[in-house]
Amino acid sequence: MNQRAVVDARAGPPPAARLIGVTKRFGAVVALDRVRFELAPGEIHGLLGENGAGKTTLARVLAGLLPPDEGRLDVAGRPVRLRDAAAARRLGVAMVHQHFSLVPRFTGFENVALFNEDAWTARGLAAPGYRAQVEARAAELGLAVDLDMRADQMSVGQRQRIEILKALMSETRVLLLDEPTAALAPQEAEPLLKALRRVARSGTGVVLVAHKLDEALSAADRVTVLRRGTRVLGGRAQDFSARDLAVAMVGEHAGRDRFSDRFALKSDERRPGRVMASLKDVAAGRPEAPALRGATLVARSGEVLGVAGVEGNGQRELAAVLAGVLRPLSGAADVPSKPGWMPMDRGEEGLIGDFPLDENVALALHDEPAWRRGPWLDWTGIKKRTEALVAAARVTAPGPEASAATLSGGNQQRLLVARELDRSKELLIAESPTRGLDVKAARAVRRKLMEFARTGEPPPAVVLISPDLDEVLQLADRIVVLVRGRLAPVDPAERSATAIGELMLAAPGAAGQR
Amino acid sequence: MAQLRRRTAGALRAAVRPTLALAATLAVAAAFLALGGYSPAAAFGALAGGAFGSWNRFVSFTLVQATPLLLAGLAVAVAFRAGAWNIGAEGQLHAGALAGVALAVSWPDAGPFVLLTTTFLAAAAGGAAWALVPVAMRTRLGVGEVITTLLMNFVALYVTQFLVQGPLQEARGIFNMTDEIPAAAQLPLVAPGTRLHAGFLVGLCIAGGLWLYMTRARGGFRMRVAGASPRAAVASGRFDPVGVVTRAFLASGAIAGLAGWIQVAGVTGRMYEGLSPGWGYTAIAVALLGRLHPGAIVVSAVVFGALGAGGGAMQRDAGVPEAWVRGTEALMILALLAVDRGFRGTAKRRGG
Repeated sequence: MNQRAVVDARAGPPPAARLIGVTKRFGAVVALDRVRFELAPGEIHGLLGENGAGKTTLARVLAGLLPPDEGRLDVAGRPVRLRDAAAARRLGVAMVHQHFSLVPRFTGFENVALFNEDAWTARGLAAPGYRAQVEARAAELGLAVDLDMRADQMSVGQRQRIEILKALMSETRVLLLDEPTAALAPQEAEPLLKALRRVARSGTGVVLVAHKLDEALSAADRVTVLRRGTRVLGGRAQDFSARDLAVAMVGEHAGRDRFSDRFALKSDERRPGRVMASLKDVAAGRPEAPALRGATLVARSGEVLGVAGVEGNGQRELAAVLAGVLRPLSGAADVPSKPGWMPMDRGEEGLIGDFPLDENVALALHDEPAWRRGPWLDWTGIKKRTEALVAAARVTAPGPEASAATLSGGNQQRLLVARELDRSKELLIAESPTRGLDVKAARAVRRKLMEFARTGEPPPAVVLISPDLDEVLQLADRIVVLVRGRLAPVDPAERSATAIGELMLAAPGAAGQR
Repeated sequence: MAQLRRRTAGALRAAVRPTLALAATLAVAAAFLALGGYSPAAAFGALAGGAFGSWNRFVSFTLVQATPLLLAGLAVAVAFRAGAWNIGAEGQLHAGALAGVALAVSWPDAGPFVLLTTTFLAAAAGGAAWALVPVAMRTRLGVGEVITTLLMNFVALYVTQFLVQGPLQEARGIFNMTDEIPAAAQLPLVAPGTRLHAGFLVGLCIAGGLWLYMTRARGGFRMRVAGASPRAAVASGRFDPVGVVTRAFLASGAIAGLAGWIQVAGVTGRMYEGLSPGWGYTAIAVALLGRLHPGAIVVSAVVFGALGAGGGAMQRDAGVPEAWVRGTEALMILALLAVDRGFRGTAKRRGG
């Protein structure tokens, strides 16, 4: 605490950036409603809120990517009108997005140089001395980067560090980071937050858009919480507990979610059920570089098997093999035919946005004999089933003719869950089932999955594949970690975020360092 | 009743964009006509007179011209719906016509029923066979079908040239065309006093069948899924999208093949170079204007048929070169894309 440079806004220099009464609408949706926000130089400001609360919109307004409909934006004490990201950049405002904007085939150094025009010579090449400057800056900030590695070979963490370095090569008053730790293992998140602390100490104001409460509390000097587009709480981080923030974020019924709402039943209280799916030494993916290599796994009836791991370690292939839509290159996969599958990319793989709800239900179920009349489909039956699913899952939708794209993310996921649970009584594969959902919707989905694994005779097996460690820890009876295409079991006695995090970054040439 | 009202409202909504595009096309075309020193009013008047001036003009010219466009347009729509960009209707149409003619002229003593059935089958097979090369290259080698189907069109043109100058040339050996097909293979006329042949009705039947298949049948549903989202098709775990796309592509070729043969059997009676003035390409505009919907394609084929039928009258009565009609077809595609783009833009802005 004592090393924090808490800046008193009254006495200090003008704020690095300030929003006054900013409103931003998207059609009928008010994303930001007369929001006030102030960023002091040298502070880390945690920006919190549920999905859809307006955090990213606020960050994008600050970064000059979205013009506000009403209100004023000040940078360094002067009102400005940012026309685009380049204009923001000239004023010293830089943003690191969730999806990085590095040129994949360029090295780290080339990416840094590309972004900083002042480093170019007349012929468009980096100036001779620039390399040394970049190295010095990286050392100064404590960012461990490999400047000669191509961006497409870097791990998420490495790419992120290059992204931060490239933003900080020229003088930066405001650095915005949109959920920078979302894709990192705990062991990678900590050095990142340390580096941000150093950045702040050099006078830059850092905005940390975050979804993890404890992280925001420990890293930030000040916090601002948004709920449905309005600022509901703001002040010094040390004055608030995680519970205060949670209450502010979701309103009255907070705090019950993550930790206290566990479903009781530990795995040792129950007999292991029969094997519903098994993989033995399975390799899958591109033959020249299989993403899954030597994966062995057993999913048992009545249990939730959690597969933790940083994204891009073979999750896609594992799910596809279990779902029976990808044939292994080698090894044995014994999976039930046509299991339920909630793919990670629900807008692209789970549902078809242009199709009405009944056709989206038919997408998964149209093969069932009950729905077939020779070459025809029983659309009346399908429509009835859709109505039943929509009602049971409490999907808010105008009707079965509405197209899936018109539903909100939470409603889409509710429909998808209902459909997939309806599909197989043997195996369900859930890939990041709560990604992008707000707390309430996420909790509903988790509860559904838990219940599903406990009902039926015999109950089905659920394989939960998620990079969200909290989710895996909360739901899974048994946990395995997917690292570089291999599965490592987690000792039930050492079930902690730290132990799993270590496995996620497991030893030589670990996945995180790929 | 309520459902009927909803249906009608939906159809009207779906017609907004094509109608806008059509209006924009005519407006731009009028501007170009004025720039070229012609009177747009006179030109359009002549065009409308040529296409719709009398019952006979409408049936004998507009509908007869619309027939190959309707069939080829349906062919294109089947492939596009399944996500296969078949630009090769022109070549498949030639292949179908050649297959039908080859069978008909070599079997002059067959009865009408047998000959009609077998020539239709031969034409469909010929068109499908012509689509087979691009299909195989797409599914086996991953070569984009846009290029291969387009290139196969040129191959078809040269094969036609070769056949009508060589093996299939008329017995007298004077002109570069085949012998006339036997009367038993020719399609009957269906409207007394006009030149409308049964091929138009065949086109309507295929449109109706396709509409039912696409909206009600399992195979049609799968085709639409594979076209709308190949990844969702795979993830559904219910079927193999590659097989579905292959079948759609071959069906597309078969229907295009019928378009060629029906033109020969219903209008020309012979196969020769230049049978088609590019119907296989215009069919793309027909399918897009009809938003790939079989029913709407009937309407859009008639629109393009009217353009073709009225073009001659326009040249004769208003002195506007017929090439202008070809330009209008291209304008139509551009207008459709622009209108779609415009709508998508507003949707995006609204949705944030």
